[in-house]
Amino acid sequence: MWAQGGVTDEDKLSRAQARTVIGRVFKMAAPFRKTMFMAFACVCVTTVCALAGPLLVRRGIDIGIRQSDSRSLNISVAIYLGVALIAYIFGRAQFLYLNRTGESFLRVLRLAVFRQMQRQSMAFYDRNKAGVLVARMTADIESMAELVQWGLLQFIAAGMLVVFALVLLATLSWQLTIVALLVMPLLIAASMKFQRDSNKAYLTVRERVGANLSALQEGITTVRVIQAYAQEEETIRKFTKSNRELFNSHEHSVRVSTWYFALIEFGGVFASALIIGIGGWLVHRGDVTLGTVVAFTLLLSSLFDPVQQLSQLYNTVQSAGAALNKLFQILDAKPEIDEHPGAIELPKVGDLEVHGITFSYAGSETAALKNVSIRVGVGEKLALVGPTGAGKSTLAKLMARLYDPQSGSVAYGGVDLTMATMASLRERIVVVPQEGFLFNGTIRDNVRIAKSSATDEEIDAAIAAIGATDHFSTLPDGLDTEVRERGSRLSAGERQLVALARAALVDPAVLVLDEATSNLDPGTEAEVEHALERLMNGRTVIVVAHRLSTVQRADHIAVIADAQIAEYGTHEELIAKAGRYSALAEAWKRSQSAH
Amino acid sequence: MTSIESDTEVAARLEFEEAQRSEGWKLLRAALKVQRRNLLLGALVGILWASFKVAVPQMTKFAINDGIEKNGPLLRWALIIGGLGVLTGVLSGMRRYVAFRESRWAEMLFRERLFSHILRLHIGYHDKAQTGQLMSRASSDLMQIQGFIVMIPITLSNVIQIIAVTAILFITDPILAVVALIPLPFVNLSARRFSHRIHPASIAVQAEQAQLANVVEESVSGVRVIKGFGAEQVQFEKLEKEADDILRESMKAARIRSSFMPAIDVLPALGLVAVLGVGGHRVINGDLTVGDLVAFNVYLTLLIWPLRNIGMIVALGQRAAAALVRINEVMSTKSEISDPTLPMQLPHDETENLGSVKFDKVVFGYNAEYPVLRNFNLDIQGGESIAIVGATGSGKSTITRLLLRFYDAQSGHVYLDGIDVRKLKLSELRSQIGVVFEDTVLFNDTVRNNIAFAKPHASADEVERAAKLSGAHEFILRLPKGYETVIGERGFSLSGGQRQRIAIARAIVANPRVLVLDDATSAVDPSKEGEIREAMKTVMSGRTTIVIAHRPGTIALADRVMLLDEGKVAAIGTHEDLVSTNARYREVLANMSADADAESQEV
Repeated sequence: MWAQGGVTDEDKLSRAQARTVIGRVFKMAAPFRKTMFMAFACVCVTTVCALAGPLLVRRGIDIGIRQSDSRSLNISVAIYLGVALIAYIFGRAQFLYLNRTGESFLRVLRLAVFRQMQRQSMAFYDRNKAGVLVARMTADIESMAELVQWGLLQFIAAGMLVVFALVLLATLSWQLTIVALLVMPLLIAASMKFQRDSNKAYLTVRERVGANLSALQEGITTVRVIQAYAQEEETIRKFTKSNRELFNSHEHSVRVSTWYFALIEFGGVFASALIIGIGGWLVHRGDVTLGTVVAFTLLLSSLFDPVQQLSQLYNTVQSAGAALNKLFQILDAKPEIDEHPGAIELPKVGDLEVHGITFSYAGSETAALKNVSIRVGVGEKLALVGPTGAGKSTLAKLMARLYDPQSGSVAYGGVDLTMATMASLRERIVVVPQEGFLFNGTIRDNVRIAKSSATDEEIDAAIAAIGATDHFSTLPDGLDTEVRERGSRLSAGERQLVALARAALVDPAVLVLDEATSNLDPGTEAEVEHALERLMNGRTVIVVAHRLSTVQRADHIAVIADAQIAEYGTHEELIAKAGRYSALAEAWKRSQSAH
Repeated sequence: MTSIESDTEVAARLEFEEAQRSEGWKLLRAALKVQRRNLLLGALVGILWASFKVAVPQMTKFAINDGIEKNGPLLRWALIIGGLGVLTGVLSGMRRYVAFRESRWAEMLFRERLFSHILRLHIGYHDKAQTGQLMSRASSDLMQIQGFIVMIPITLSNVIQIIAVTAILFITDPILAVVALIPLPFVNLSARRFSHRIHPASIAVQAEQAQLANVVEESVSGVRVIKGFGAEQVQFEKLEKEADDILRESMKAARIRSSFMPAIDVLPALGLVAVLGVGGHRVINGDLTVGDLVAFNVYLTLLIWPLRNIGMIVALGQRAAAALVRINEVMSTKSEISDPTLPMQLPHDETENLGSVKFDKVVFGYNAEYPVLRNFNLDIQGGESIAIVGATGSGKSTITRLLLRFYDAQSGHVYLDGIDVRKLKLSELRSQIGVVFEDTVLFNDTVRNNIAFAKPHASADEVERAAKLSGAHEFILRLPKGYETVIGERGFSLSGGQRQRIAIARAIVANPRVLVLDDATSAVDPSKEGEIREAMKTVMSGRTTIVIAHRPGTIALADRVMLLDEGKVAAIGTHEDLVSTNARYREVLANMSADADAESQEV
């Protein structure tokens, strides 16, 4: 078994990048400088101990045994015993210090990356796929855990061992050192080739494992269609193909390692043969002692094993570097929406005024909104309607500062939203999305998300305010019912009620609603309607509307088409105008009565 | 699990677990039997390798004693050692290759068998099973088994190596051998205990990592809510707690490592110390040669890895056995729906109107206590189309499942062309029923292969004809690579309506006697609903069709309408008849309209 890990060519770090990554790692690890230093010191001690063994055997043979000096022999033995004990004690300590450093570093990294992700605006989440972001926080960081647990220790220890062993061998006998190094070029060349080949083989295996897992998952999740069309055999045939391909890639990767390990094994024995042969000749000439030859045969593994380990760990270290590089990129991304240094509180009440805003999503060439202005008075209800993609949801989001416009401004009570404190903004203007999103935890926890300082009584009051007290009290544990796996236990309507309760808890002056397009379960549909009505009462409301009934209840209607406000007025005014809105209302009516 | 178990219950449970475990081992043995020859070869290579490996220090000893100390033929000894180097190199490579290849081969065969079995299990099993669970049977559990199999030949050669080395040491000098070997069993013991203790610790770390992943996942998917309420701090605190938990559990694991690994490293050194001390004095006394002493040293280091490995294989074996038990749970589940022993054939007389379907006094419930269909009767003529209407949960989709034999009725019969579906071969029955499910399934494959799913060797003509009938041809041509465009989860994404039309085309290619459309318009943008209906109308003509209607517009496509209420046929007739005579029908219809209105959103 050898260390796994691999890195694709595009992820491979350049020298300069590698330097930056290493520098930043040390900077981030600065708080644990002390443990890091201790870990390093311990590794030094254990490495010296590992090398001292063969040296003491040499001393015992040359001074003790060959001169028949029992006392000298005993001294060597005693020192050896002491060295073994020291190696044990420092061995334990090095593990703890190194793991403490590494795991603490990973913790700091997790917190820093997450905090940075949380500071990002919605635009960041539009740009980056959810899966990728989760992978950064989980797989990428976890991939470093192995390195932290033992890889790093091995890497450092192996590096030190090679250096120490070389120095030691050279002081014992320069002639034999040259002999030992004769095999080295072969070993290094083989290790480098192995590192390259195994990296490639590993990447293939990883890709095939992924393909195989997808085939497996597809087979299991689509089993109903497969059986309905009696295509079990064909599907199994295809899966077998992917499974065999996976095997072939495994087989190839074993072959890559097979010749390498064979060569390493041969190299080790061959080197001892050289040492014995040439060393014996040198002993006869009187150039070296027998003890030195013995020590060399024993020390050879201290020279060969680390080189082998280094080459195997190299891939792991490289992929950790690539992961770190990606994480640092997240840390470097500047949040687009942030609190202005001199931000002030928004006034308690006021008009919401959109003034000449233009906005386009990152990466999109066409503007989602072009020079749009609109004003919503205190307590007024505005419905936004229009075709998909015309910009009505975008306008609603800008009115709650989920995005900042590229030009123009959104102001509340005369204060530009970009100049307001985030806290006051979230208190005044609340967005209720189309679907009630639930977090793991109880229903109560889920409502409290809106205001972490809320007492149980306040939450009860919020639930009562939307008239859902009775509904939730029928659940087994009432508000303390665990929602389980993203609320799979609750119906869509119940999830929506939770979302509305959140808004009620904040008790905002302005409510921005994205009306659900899909229908809810008939049981809770009415309750949600009712809750909405109570919530809207007495507040300024901006609703992205999909239903005629909702639109009819609004004070004003804005038809958004082609990134602009095409029509604006009351229901009656717009019907009278016989433009886009009246056509839309007509279509709505038709679909209602068609059946 | 209840905390109070009677003795007999405990005994029964233990017996069951034991039976499961022995069943697991039996499976492994059976699987390995196929590869017996190669595994034996691997073991043989391993044994040869071990013996040559053991010979190296022996030769080193001779070289020192004879070549160096006595001025003997040094070159010859060096050449012998070099030769042994070639042999051990080649053999160690072979041992490694055989071990890994065979273990991967076994893993591959296991996965194939498991996948085939899972695919053939009855749908009732799949309705209850979790995808993730089945996935981990075929991935991580098999990895455990592979990890164990790879150790089999390696362990065998390790055992040989230990025996050989021990023998040599005893022959050379029994007293020194005893002294040197004392610390070594502790290496094995430590490795074994380490393996036992580190496993639960790493599982605990993984569990904490999974919890952190949950927080990250919900924070990313729920970012709108978090931003909307400024709840970043709340989530950050949740994450901090999980990160702290990971740190804590990781450090627990680190402590376990720190208390075993250095000990495993240092114990052999104690043997070396003993050899130097006791052996050195014996050399001085003339009882031992220097060469022997050096050889002793080398031999002791040869024992370290085999002892460690053997210590670990016990734990590996236990984990593999546990994985096998879990795999066996799946493999030993028999499909409740299978081919009859003496299957009948469907009539093939072209002159008759084929495709008649009959439900006769059918009683069925997913849970026997709560029947979904109670005494359900329905007669559909060949070529007739019927729409099934009913409230949510009234059992509309259940009718399809019984017809397809995804489930069997608890009592009563279902007939296709007069033959009880249970008397037909499953493949024959299912090839005659084309279903378009409510949630369309696309495979990660080309459009062509998705349409030709039921008939993999369908000609390009057949595929295109089906696509034209379902109204999919035009948009397919506009896709980047036309019919060769890869669609599905990881491919080009299609709209709901496009997906539906592909699914309808798929059903057409199968050319079934009976077409079941589990409302193909429900996931479709209302403006496209009409087009889908048009497509449905084309393919329905002249074919028995069951339409499960979720939207009022779909009903009009069928010759007759059946109202399903409380598991029975509440009314049957033409749409107009039912509207005028049946109050319940009007009520269900009104609910459907309201739903449809809620969906008809943008223009």
